[in-house]
Amino acid sequence: MTSPKRPAAVLVYAGLVLGALITLAPFALGLLTSFTSAHQFATGTPLAWPRPPTLANYADLGGAGFGRALAVTTLMTAAILLGQLSSSVLAAYAFARLRFPGRDALFWVYLATLMVPGSVTVVPLYLMMAQLGMRNTFWALVLPFVFGSPYAIFLLRQYFRAIPDDLINAAYLDGANTLDVIVHVVMPSSRPVLVTLMLITVVSQWHHFMWPLVITSGAKWQVLTVATAALQSRYNAQWTLVMAASAVAIVPLLALFVIFQRHIVRSIVVTGLK
Amino acid sequence: MTSVGTTAGLAAPRRSTALGYALLAPSLFGVVAFLLLPILVVVWLSLHRWDLLGPIEYVGGQNWRSVLSDSTFGNSLLVTLTFVAIVVPAQTVLGLAVAALLARDLPGSGMFRTLYVLPWISVPLAIAVLWRWILAPTDGAISTVLGHRIEWLTDPGLALPVVSAVVVWANVGYVALFFLAGILAIPAEIHSAARTDGATSWQRFWRITLPMLRPTMFFVLVTGVISAAQVFDIVYALTGGGPQNHTDLVAHRIYAEAFGAAAIGRASVMAVVLFVILIAITIVQHLYFRRRISYDLT
Repeated sequence: MTSPKRPAAVLVYAGLVLGALITLAPFALGLLTSFTSAHQFATGTPLAWPRPPTLANYADLGGAGFGRALAVTTLMTAAILLGQLSSSVLAAYAFARLRFPGRDALFWVYLATLMVPGSVTVVPLYLMMAQLGMRNTFWALVLPFVFGSPYAIFLLRQYFRAIPDDLINAAYLDGANTLDVIVHVVMPSSRPVLVTLMLITVVSQWHHFMWPLVITSGAKWQVLTVATAALQSRYNAQWTLVMAASAVAIVPLLALFVIFQRHIVRSIVVTGLK
Repeated sequence: MTSVGTTAGLAAPRRSTALGYALLAPSLFGVVAFLLLPILVVVWLSLHRWDLLGPIEYVGGQNWRSVLSDSTFGNSLLVTLTFVAIVVPAQTVLGLAVAALLARDLPGSGMFRTLYVLPWISVPLAIAVLWRWILAPTDGAISTVLGHRIEWLTDPGLALPVVSAVVVWANVGYVALFFLAGILAIPAEIHSAARTDGATSWQRFWRITLPMLRPTMFFVLVTGVISAAQVFDIVYALTGGGPQNHTDLVAHRIYAEAFGAAAIGRASVMAVVLFVILIAITIVQHLYFRRRISYDLT
């Protein structure tokens, strides 16, 4: 594009800065409050600069079981990430590179399941887990999501189909079996889409709320979202503590976001996320 | 095209069959057990009564009659419809405006683009808790700045627009990314030709950019409707469906019915109805989008 006229550029920047302020202000104010002592918040004006800034709210979260919730959330996300990606890679390879009866019909079934919304399956999944005696277990948190995602399979299949036949045949001729081919040929040449899927999977699993809320109870397998919601309803007026809790739920993804920012923006557009 | 059938006697395809199904086994189990079976189970449950603990008993169409004649569910569908009707147009128009600004590609645009997606990356539940403080009537951020209290979340007339605004705030940057990708995909020659013909940038936006964004627009609208119709976390933490069910979105109603009132049968009826509505919307989408459109932004 040719260089824009000055006044136009100023207006564009004004719009962009306004947008950034509206986007960031709630985060900044919440963070500020999380570093304010409960006493100062209650006696002074709520938006005053913390004097002095304190970590007391974060320390109190430790007592409220947030350390454990952070660990459970991390473990849940890691387990689902590992299971979902490996099952999806295997399935995508079968759909992309093998020929077998029923392949196309099955692929169509996988695609159709993209239409099954999470808010509809929560109730029946709850019954199924209850019948299996798995309420309030770690397995209940991960099982429904760990066996691969039709969306990931769909996306990977497109990449796997584009890999040159010669590359794969050469590996077979060297005596590699299918698993070797997948691990040493297919996966390295699909690195961008794998990174995309990893980021999107981590973000969406970290966001989980409704399912953990209904299938777990008590502190044992409480994830961060459920712990934050519980804290919010128990200490409704203690905003300094509650803001620290939401900061703990948000910040780990923010860190991921800062590290992979260019990639995340690209990933969202490629996958549509969720 | 080669046919599998003609080579049935050879070893290779048969080995491929065993191998194919072996590779599919984990995901096939997941798809059948956790996506297809639940659909059958929820239909079955809609014909039964269960209180989460006791035995499950068959009640025929009783749940269906009770839910469909019940004003709570009707209210919830209406609230969801209103919510979708506020959120989707608002986030689409604002997202398009933001994308138009970002598309000028001034220095620093990349940083703004990244900043705007932050609310979308953030945990929705935590976002809702954050906004609950911002909007708190006595010691919240907005009341402090304004110097007087406004019952943002407990005033029956304000609650739904305010909840919608929070969702729009969280989604705008995400929607803008798709429009930005769409705008950047428009060949530069079209714009420069129009500029040569004396078209202003305003005219070019309405006559070139907007018409050429039609596929993006459709994608953004349809996915926007489907996800807005399922919002749960934000309303759970902001209002709990109140005041007097004024923000009782359908996903929240299903939750409240199932795990608040322990009426699993009734909740299942609502889930089936929601499913049918969403399927209908998705089928419309697929009629328009036979081929999936993917964008690349680098």
